[in-house]
Amino acid sequence: MAVLEIRKISKYFGGLAAINNVDLDVFDSEILGLIGPNGAGKTTLFNSISGFYPPTSGKVIFKGADITGLRTDQIARIGISRTFQQTNLFMQATVFDNVSIGFYMHYRQPRWKAFLHTRSAKNEELVIKQKVTELLDFMGLSPMKNELAVNLPHGHQRILGVCMALGSNPELLLLDEPMTGMNPTETLVMVDLIKKIRDKGVTIVVVEHDMKAVMSLCERIFVLNYGQKIAEGKPEEIIQNSEVIEAYLGTEEE
Amino acid sequence: MKFSTNQQTSRVIILFIFLILLVMLPLVVTNYYWQHLLIMSLVASVLGMTFSMIFCCAGMVTLGTGAFIAIGAYASTLLVMKLGLSFWLALPFAVIITAMFSFAFGLVAIRNPGVAFVLLTMIFAEIITQVTGQISFFGGWGGFIMIPRPNPIGPIKFTGKLPFYYLMLFLCLLVVLVFQALYTSRIGKVWRAISLSPHLAQTVGINVYRYRLLAFVIASSAAGLAGSFYAHYAQTLAPSTFGGFFSILVQLYPILGGINFYILGPALGATIMTIVPEFLRITKEIEPIITGLLVLIIVLFYPGGILGSITQLPRLGAISISKRLKEIETWLSNMDPRR
Repeated sequence: MAVLEIRKISKYFGGLAAINNVDLDVFDSEILGLIGPNGAGKTTLFNSISGFYPPTSGKVIFKGADITGLRTDQIARIGISRTFQQTNLFMQATVFDNVSIGFYMHYRQPRWKAFLHTRSAKNEELVIKQKVTELLDFMGLSPMKNELAVNLPHGHQRILGVCMALGSNPELLLLDEPMTGMNPTETLVMVDLIKKIRDKGVTIVVVEHDMKAVMSLCERIFVLNYGQKIAEGKPEEIIQNSEVIEAYLGTEEE
Repeated sequence: MKFSTNQQTSRVIILFIFLILLVMLPLVVTNYYWQHLLIMSLVASVLGMTFSMIFCCAGMVTLGTGAFIAIGAYASTLLVMKLGLSFWLALPFAVIITAMFSFAFGLVAIRNPGVAFVLLTMIFAEIITQVTGQISFFGGWGGFIMIPRPNPIGPIKFTGKLPFYYLMLFLCLLVVLVFQALYTSRIGKVWRAISLSPHLAQTVGINVYRYRLLAFVIASSAAGLAGSFYAHYAQTLAPSTFGGFFSILVQLYPILGGINFYILGPALGATIMTIVPEFLRITKEIEPIITGLLVLIIVLFYPGGILGSITQLPRLGAISISKRLKEIETWLSNMDPRR
């Protein structure tokens, strides 16, 4: 069953088509790899899905509902979470606070009760603290929960970014180059974590340049080039696809 | 767990002592003029806290603090002088009216929270000045004089400075209490997130616009409260009282005191900025220049403000002046348009 259906989506910046007529289905509980050379439109596709800018044309359908043109916070609310290519964290806040802000959508008590510090609001705060602690344990960040995000090593910062995105309990997680700048050991940890997250029933779309990681992680790969789909299939099929090889390495005449 | 409650009790005790000191203060400071300065410090503290809330929580710079004080002051004055309401009724009404104005203004202006917001608040302040000045119903450029003092409550008559001091102290504490309750709740947590990165706040599902509007309306209402008090304390009110320069002065309070201390910072800065210029009075005309220089030195060399520098002292030591100068130099050269 397709969780996310993208229908004929295009995004123009002036006359330039960053993505052009792309159709994409993401199925329940799969890890889909989205690859392509630089400037292929991968991040633009993520931005269009997560509401950073609405697509010029086409539709984004999530669990049967049209979500094209919704605001970022509304899209987060219905269960699509994302991380960023650049490390994007609340740098001057602690790891714990970063993640607890990620849990924003778990608050059910009305704001005026929070303002008055009623018992129910305090209890809710405790429940959320508990959940944050559990998530930090799951992601292996508990030992550094009181550090400022800015003081973490790069690999841990990337994991923290994923942690924040998970806070909202998403059904679909969009990871934009989660392994950028990681050493091989850190990459392995990240691959393991992503698989663990999938096993909890979260559907995942990964944009990544590290081919080794993509091949070991993804069950299905979708290749973009110049804003258009050029291939889709199992990792072993993609490796042998001549068009993909051409896009990445260039043709022989060049 | 027990440790944290102990910590809380000690904090409550310190605050309680501080409060008793504030209550006792006028017994030591018996001079009328100095009591006046204390009252003005309290008014300025509230205004500084409102700027702090809009700046640190919503991440916006306002140059319209004066406008909302004016709305509060005028609303309260008109209700008392034209409708014959008691001050005690006019005060809450003035706050509600200011809230309504700030809500309507914020609804439009916060759509674009950057430079456009700064300009819009500035223009709004000017519009308020012009409207109150040009229309005779609002008193014209001459404004109002002989605004009635608050009606006596029981045996307490509002003559002299003391009752006003205690009234303002009460109002100030009320504002502190409301602000502190907000800052320590999840609303405050969300505000800090927005001020650190509005983009990221949005991706975790926060409606940034709505939270900014909330901060703006609450802060402006507090400014309206201070305005209403001021009108009945000074007993005169004119459009020029809360002009453009006034709103700029308000920004200095939290910056001077410590921008990361949402309540103590503005209070300290406001007190200093109210009292220190009085010491410099002997220098006559050049008093504003000296005050300005002092502020400039603090802002350039102690960017965390007074409280920020004090709390950092044990860890970092004082910033060496030469190092800071070098930082400023690189900062300036980065602003060089030719590069």
